[in-house]
Amino acid sequence: MGTLTGALPLPAFGTKVAAKSRVDYQNTPEGALVQRAQAGDESAFREIVERYQSKVFSIIHGIVRQRNDVEDIAQQVFAKVYSSLKSFDFRSSLITWIYKITVNECFDYLRKRKVRRLVYESDLSEDEVRRVENTEPATDRQAPVDSSLAQRDYVLKLLTRVSEEERMLLILKEVEGFSVEELAEKTGMNENTVKVKLFRARQKLVKAAQRLDRTPGLVPG
Amino acid sequence: MHAAESDLEEYLSGSLKPAALAKIEAHLKACDTCRQEVEGMREISLCLATLRTEESPEPAPGFYARVMDRVGRQTAALTFSSLFNWQFAFARRVAFAALVTFAILGSYLIIHENASPSGFSPEAVMAQQELPAFESGPAPDNMLVTLTVYEQH
Repeated sequence: MGTLTGALPLPAFGTKVAAKSRVDYQNTPEGALVQRAQAGDESAFREIVERYQSKVFSIIHGIVRQRNDVEDIAQQVFAKVYSSLKSFDFRSSLITWIYKITVNECFDYLRKRKVRRLVYESDLSEDEVRRVENTEPATDRQAPVDSSLAQRDYVLKLLTRVSEEERMLLILKEVEGFSVEELAEKTGMNENTVKVKLFRARQKLVKAAQRLDRTPGLVPG
Repeated sequence: MHAAESDLEEYLSGSLKPAALAKIEAHLKACDTCRQEVEGMREISLCLATLRTEESPEPAPGFYARVMDRVGRQTAALTFSSLFNWQFAFARRVAFAALVTFAILGSYLIIHENASPSGFSPEAVMAQQELPAFESGPAPDNMLVTLTVYEQH
């Protein structure tokens, strides 16, 4: 990098920008709503639920696709929002924070569902199933009929190989369609950091895909 | 030298300016590593797109009430388990304190007993007393005095 900024790192710069954006967000109407909810105002929390419930349902449905379970997971998401709201520190926007909780709950659900199905189908205990899962090649032996379902299952498997933050960034970018600028604003990170994190997350997915034993034809290319 | 990560990310997003785009495309033509990596990333982006959903279920009426029911149940479970943890912690502290007290008391008694003169044993007390002669007071009375002296010590 030939610029002065690259040659002379300014460690305080990013901190000041992050702090400023945190203060800005706290001063917005939504920031005020969150502060009221943090103080125990139940009507404020209700407003948060009603504002974001449809979005949360949409995210869950995109990942899980089991209509019967969508509401159960959504309830769990908002219960977690309620119990953790006091620790929300305004570094990101509220929806980004809720989004992260939602994606994590979805992946927890998928992991538990997989273990439960294997326990039901085999005579193994949960611990034994987990041991088998960790040693067997992680591919589906039976090719699903619908190729988009196959791609979906495949990418969900890959997404378990990245961190929570990387998973959230990738989904916000690729599924929700946010730009890098919008992601920077929502997460409180600067744009270059977002780009680098996204790129490294993609690299991890590519490496995970190479390690998986891909059956030809399972993921149409 | 490979392309910068931020540039490749912008390339994948389709947001590179024409000059930068031309530079990256030239690099990708020449660099197998970067080209294969970018191709792999494009394939995964297509898979990620399958997570998009056009129609999703809407929350049924009463969703908020059900959320608060769940919050109530989880709070009650948490309070009960934290109470148990508190009591268990308290019991552990009491047990530890009792153990330490007994240890100190026991050490004190042992040290104190070892330091005392051997004259307090029954044999020593009796030896300090004059042996009753046959012609003196009855032996039981002398025995009582001896025992009293021992008890006093």
